[in-house]
This record gives sequence, C-alpha cells and structure tokens, in this order.
Amino acid sequence: MSQDAPPDPGASGRPAFLGHGVGLRREHFERVLSSPSRIDWFEVISENFMVPGGRALDVLTRVRERYPVVLHGVSLSIGSTDPLDEAYLDRLAGLARRCEPAWISDHLCWTSVGGHHAHDLLPLPYTEEALRNVAARVGRVQDRLGRPIALENVSSYVAYRGSAMTEWEFLAEVARRSGCGILLDVNNIYVSARNHGFDPFAYLAGVPPEKVWQFHLAGHSDKGAYLLDTHDHPVADPVWDLYRAAVRRFGAVSTLVEWDDLIPDFERLEAESARARAIHEATLGAARREAV
Amino acid sequence: MKEAACDLRRAQQVFWSLITAPEGVRAAVEDLTRDGALREREIDEIFADDPRLPAVDRLDIYANMYFYRLLDGLAEDFVRVHAAVGSDRFHNLATDYLLRHPSEHPSLRHLGRRLPGFIQGHPLREEFPYLADLARLDWAHVEAFDAPDAPPLTREALAHLAPERAGAARFTLIPAFDLLRLEHDVLRIWRDLEGSREGKSAQGARPDAAAGACAAGTDSRSPEAGSCAPAAGPRGPRTAPLRRTFVRVWRHAFVVYHRSAGEDEARCLEMVRSGESLARICQQLAAGRDPARATERVGRILQGWIDDGILAGYALSDQG
Repeated sequence: MSQDAPPDPGASGRPAFLGHGVGLRREHFERVLSSPSRIDWFEVISENFMVPGGRALDVLTRVRERYPVVLHGVSLSIGSTDPLDEAYLDRLAGLARRCEPAWISDHLCWTSVGGHHAHDLLPLPYTEEALRNVAARVGRVQDRLGRPIALENVSSYVAYRGSAMTEWEFLAEVARRSGCGILLDVNNIYVSARNHGFDPFAYLAGVPPEKVWQFHLAGHSDKGAYLLDTHDHPVADPVWDLYRAAVRRFGAVSTLVEWDDLIPDFERLEAESARARAIHEATLGAARREAV
Repeated sequence: MKEAACDLRRAQQVFWSLITAPEGVRAAVEDLTRDGALREREIDEIFADDPRLPAVDRLDIYANMYFYRLLDGLAEDFVRVHAAVGSDRFHNLATDYLLRHPSEHPSLRHLGRRLPGFIQGHPLREEFPYLADLARLDWAHVEAFDAPDAPPLTREALAHLAPERAGAARFTLIPAFDLLRLEHDVLRIWRDLEGSREGKSAQGARPDAAAGACAAGTDSRSPEAGSCAPAAGPRGPRTAPLRRTFVRVWRHAFVVYHRSAGEDEARCLEMVRSGESLARICQQLAAGRDPARATERVGRILQGWIDDGILAGYALSDQG
C-alpha cells in the first residue's frame, strides 16, 4: 500500500467508516439529548456504564437510539500477568448486548497486578513474552465477546531496558497474531515519540493499514522535560500534522476527539471535531487527485 | 539475555510497588532495596534510563497520576467528608486508606466502599467524631446513584389492593434504597456542607480512569502538580450531636435523596426488608399504643413511602 493510495473504507476488513465522533462525557449529556449535533458518533468509557442502573445507562440508551456508539474500555488490563477478570468480561458482554456498539476497544497496556488496579494505562515491555501473553489474552477476550476488539497505543513515560522491538512492531504483531484491530491514537504517538525520542512518522509507516479501525485525537500538556497526555487542551498543531499523514496512509478511518478534563462546552468540542473532519476530507481529496 | 532481565510478572510487580509508595519512587527504591524486596540495581535492569530524564523521575510521573486519580475519585464520592476535613487532611486520609485498601475493582466506582469503616479506626475521627457517619451517608448516595432501576409503586397501583386483603400485603423496596443507622446526627452538618448534592446526583456516570489524566508533575505528590481539586480548609464542625439517627437514602427519577426517619418508621422499614406483612407491621407498631392510632400512623408512613417512590411493589400472602 503506497502512502498516496489510501485503502477504501470497508475494503480491508475494518469496520464501516463512522465519520467523526467525540467522547460522550456527562457534562454534555443534556446537550446531546436535547438538540441535534454535528457529531456522527459517540465513544463512551465502558466502565462508566458497566453499572446496574441509573441515569448513565438511561442516557446511553437514548444516545444509542440516535447515534452509533463505540465502547472504549480502560480496565481490560490485556497485558497483565494476572488472570483475565471473568466478572469484568461478563459485565462488558452484557453492556455490549445492551447497546450494540459498532465495536469494542481498550488499550494495549496493563492496569492491574496482584489483584490490585492502578486505574492508569501502564506500558508493556516490547518482548516476545509480553507479545505471547497479550495475543493469547486478546484471543480469549474475542472468543468471549464473540467479536474482534481493537487495541489502542498508549502514551508512555518510561521504557523497559528489555524491549526487543519498537512499539509499532509490537502493536502490529499483536494485531497480526490475535486478529484484533488497532485504535491508533495519533496524540499518543506524538507524546510517546517526544518522551522516548523516536520518529512519529516512522511509527505510522510501521502500522499495517488494513488493521487500523479508528483514530483518536486529543490534547496534551508540555511539562518541559516530557509531554503529558492530559486530554485537557485542543489538539496541538504537530498532532494535526501527524493526523494528516495518518489519513494519507490509512485512508477513511473513523476519527474521534477526546476531551476529558477542563471539558469545554459542547460547541467547542464540535468545532474540534469539525476541524478533524475538514483535515480528513482535504487530505483524502488531495490523495485522490494525486492518484488520478 | 534481554528477556531474562525483563520478566513480565516481576516487572509489573516492581512497577506497582514503586508507583504506589507514598513517599515517591526514589524513596521507595531505597526502602525496598533495604528491605530486600528489590535487588541492587534491579531498577536499572528493568527500566531504560535516559539522560534527559532518569527512570525514577519517569516512574514518578506514574506515581503522581496513580495517587491523584484515586484521590480525586475518593473526593468526588465523599464530597461532604472532603469538605468537612479540608483538602490537606483528606489527602492524608486517602494516602492511609490506599495503603491499606488499594483498588480491587476495575472500576473506580468501588474504590471508596471500605472508607467509612476505615475512618472508624482512623485518628482523624478524634478531630471529627462524626466523620464515619458522614462517610456512610456519602457512600449511600454513591450506592443509590447507580443501583438497579425499578419503577416505583404508584398510588394508582396501590388502589387495586382491596382493603380486606391489605393486611396480607408484603411490600418490596426499590433496589436504590438504603436505611442507615447512624450514631451521630449528621444531617445538619450535611446541609451546611451542601452545595452539590443534587448537582452530582443528577449528572450521570462518574468519570472513571480515562485515557487522559489530571496534570501530574515529577514532584512527589505535590497538589499543585497533580490534583484537579482546589485546595480548601476544613469546613466541618469538630462535634455533632451524639444521637442515634435513622436516615433513609433513595433514588427517584435519577436523583438521590435522603431524609431522616423516626424510630417507628425505621422499624417498619426493617420489617418490610424482612418480608413481614402489613398486618404484622401494624401489630408491631400497635404495641403499647392505641390500635387505631397505630394504623393511622402506618398509613401515614406508607403514604410517605409512596410519595417518595421507595416501594417497588407488593405480593399477597394469606399467611399474614
């Protein structure tokens, strides 16, 4: 696949192109339900809705009546050396039956060990041992859910001396061995590239296009010695540049803007999503013209 | 062998030990090495160093994010406890609590389940004797917030209950209901600390660990670097009336409420929970009083339950 000939959506086994979405946050529940939006689809944090009842589930049901929804988890802990949490998988499967998501995703990381949860996305060493562990667990999760899942690359701040491959080689190999899709977080690539000193464009070039189901975009904070994935800012210009390159390489991929802290009003979030849409369309249009 | 130096299980255990240590990663490395829980130079074998930022400082980023995410989760669930003791004391309480009770559930929603009991034995209770009761009330709101849904029994549905059969009715309570028996009257304190009860209850899902984090710095657990919550001093009084208080907590139309209950109402609720019939409840309440007034009192109590929407339904049994 050349960089100038992005794959057709749907032609590579990836899920249908949903367009441009945002993360559904409680600050926007009323706004989303009360009037139309320029948003094509919503992503929800699975764990926030893996509850017995209450308003959140009611809101999810009503949002789902109007929009496609994707379940995005933060606690699958797919890279952990603990046993898979069967009760968690039961709840996730139940939520999926309830809201029929377009797909289910989580993170390529670990979040728990020894039965304790960090509630943070902790990085893995890029080793054959970790690869075997993750691929086997993804297989069991997919069997349990009856569908493939997508895994997202995380922002990271520390690396392991024992890593035997690059992050993108690890990600691609997990997808190849397990059959899972990739949720490519463009901001996370940029943050980790700055924190570890690798070339973010080399990362994009190392990811198999047919495996990429979704993009994430978000803002980060510059802490001087490192970048922190804070999701409390607009998307930074270098990340928009990387997004253009990602669209050129991967084509029409469903794109989602995340904003999780210092959450602005919904119209500001819509504007950020509209910017992603404009870049996406302009980049694809240019690629098509070049191909002709 | 690269792989041998990065045994996955060991790496995760070490990572966890370092980022959950209360004094920061550098101190944790020294402590764990001194105690023999960490081999000399093991950190250097597991984590890659970098001239721009040493591995321990990189791990401290995670340590800050770990602590402040959980601190913020507790502060959100225990709004009144936080307001009563102020940010500094709550920070220390959370530090002690997380050391004793690290999260055992994939959702942050469950993190505070043991905090009311933990406060019972915490030194902070000497300064704020009512704090465990206040925490129980905070936590009851959390539990009611996302308890299973159930349509409440309406006045119209109850009208179908023939008067001659009413004594055989065994009522059921909605799942989003709890009856608390507190040692202190904390309702006044709650009201004084109020400001966000309905705001929170009506909002929706609580934020779980999302991909984005609160800002965190390399300074070990400095509030400026990590916490999303503004610092605040204690606002709670140092005493509260030591008086047994019953409080019922329930959710109606996605809003969580609470109200004090008299001793006789509390007794009725406990009997309903035990599956007793209305006739038995009336008998119990009639002990030592005029039967007609007891029946009238039960009627008023029932009316209040219907109005508040805490009854889910009833079943009829001939064995009243």
